[in-house]
Amino acid sequence: MSAIIEIRDYTWQYLNTEKPALEAINVDIYEGEFVGIIGPNGAGKTTLALSMDGLIPGQYHGVKQGTVKVMGKEVDDYPRGQLQRQVGVVFSDPEAQFTAMTVEDELVFGLENQGLSITEIHERLEWVTELTALKPLLPKPPYEISGGQKQRVALAAVLAMMPKVMVLDEPTSMLDPISRKRIFEVLGRLKREQHNTVIVIEHSLENLIPLADCMILLSEGKVALQAATREFFQRIAFLLEKGVYPPEAMQFFYHLMQNGWYNGDLPLTLDEAAAKLETILMPHHSTR
Amino acid sequence: MNAQQPYIRVIHLTYDYPDGTRALTDVNLEIYDDEFIALIGQNGSGKTTLSKCLNGLLKPTLGDVIVDGLNSKTTPIVQMVKRVGYVFQNPDHQLFNSTCWDEIAYGPRNILLPEEEVKERVIEAARVVGLTEDYFDSHPFFLSKGLRQRVAIASILALRPKVIIVDEPTTGQDSRQSFEIMDFLKDLNENHGHTVIIITHDMPIVAHYARRVVVMGLGQVLADGSTVEIFKQIEVLAKTHLEPPQITQLAQRCQHLGFDPSTLTVEQMLEQFQHLSKI
Repeated sequence: MSAIIEIRDYTWQYLNTEKPALEAINVDIYEGEFVGIIGPNGAGKTTLALSMDGLIPGQYHGVKQGTVKVMGKEVDDYPRGQLQRQVGVVFSDPEAQFTAMTVEDELVFGLENQGLSITEIHERLEWVTELTALKPLLPKPPYEISGGQKQRVALAAVLAMMPKVMVLDEPTSMLDPISRKRIFEVLGRLKREQHNTVIVIEHSLENLIPLADCMILLSEGKVALQAATREFFQRIAFLLEKGVYPPEAMQFFYHLMQNGWYNGDLPLTLDEAAAKLETILMPHHSTR
Repeated sequence: MNAQQPYIRVIHLTYDYPDGTRALTDVNLEIYDDEFIALIGQNGSGKTTLSKCLNGLLKPTLGDVIVDGLNSKTTPIVQMVKRVGYVFQNPDHQLFNSTCWDEIAYGPRNILLPEEEVKERVIEAARVVGLTEDYFDSHPFFLSKGLRQRVAIASILALRPKVIIVDEPTTGQDSRQSFEIMDFLKDLNENHGHTVIIITHDMPIVAHYARRVVVMGLGQVLADGSTVEIFKQIEVLAKTHLEPPQITQLAQRCQHLGFDPSTLTVEQMLEQFQHLSKI
């Protein structure tokens, strides 16, 4: 199987900056994969997202080396606007992508531009408003709704376009914990039901981890670690050193491990952690 | 704590936006000197509206907000912002001057302080937030988000408000930056005499830093109490789209093993583990 996104020896330096934002990047992402990208601010996460959508080098000045291929074709070789139908990006600042006067117009803007029929537009609008629970907000101006609601609208607008690959740059940073869970549930459904390729940049790992097939850690413009999710988090000491703080349950088990009170895999989720704790403290009662 | 007079009293506060949307319904709250409070609740629950009522940016539709004995309805905003400062969620919504110096000096100049005192206050505020002199002439937009947030906080501190409200201090910050900003707010609270109110969705941050938690939902106060007490009330939290930090949830799930359901931090969990496994 060939990768849907294939990045080879890719280096990008913005104009008038002293060092590359991304350097010698090699990443393969396969169709239907759910990939988490993490790393401290300034590590190059957003630059990588923009590169996969062709907004870099298209809309930014700078120097590019190496290749970024989407579906086998170099991003620079796509006619303007073509690539963005295949790869949808949800930006971390939702206001950056709003253009319309009502939420409903915002959601159908891209669809109208694709020249879809009225029926199709209606169907997709219905689907996406149900999925993201936006119905009550449709008549409101996007600038009058709360930060978290804006984030849902931004996500829905991109979802409605049904891109093959979705790149989400901190899609839940302004959301309350349950709304955050809901967004990840939506992303989980996309993965299971539509087999979308989903790439999520996120600081908050609790919701990302159960869904992600693999994880990429960026640090100072380079790929510091990439691996399948479980394997990735076994390198917790390295992650902590790089300023990444895994979920608390995992940190707790890491401390147990350091003290020699536990050895085994670090739990990825709350469920796993609870089961493991039970096994440790009540070895004879546990059924797991 | 109730022996002293509250610094802020919110009495039967109801607030309607001009389009008729009711954002707050009959909110009652007392805030005392030196508290560190987290204001939590789902998106749209009224947290930001309440904050803007506390510093007089918004006037009550019904009820009253009394700050330091002054009623916000009849007190000029200049007097209010000297007492309660509000730092916006997105520093870019607040920063508009072309140098950090002018940005921090804007507030003090606006309340018509003599330039000599303005200077003194800018230097003090910059020192408190750890902004070195090298940055005074920098354009705020070329600084990192973490630094921009500090400039935003400094520009509020320069007004020397007793109470400082910071809306989503850790949004968009990575873990290291989040702890840095929070440690800094803790320092303001413990060593500089400020009452700090944070608005946040980050429950581990609440567990680590806040001593009191006010839970809002649908424009009302659903619960108000110590951090330990609040994180035990799972049903109340769920009503407003919240859940306790993961470590608290783990302790609650493992209560049958002897863990305390009001555990707030990884350290506390470790201590209990040691005790329970008799290591």
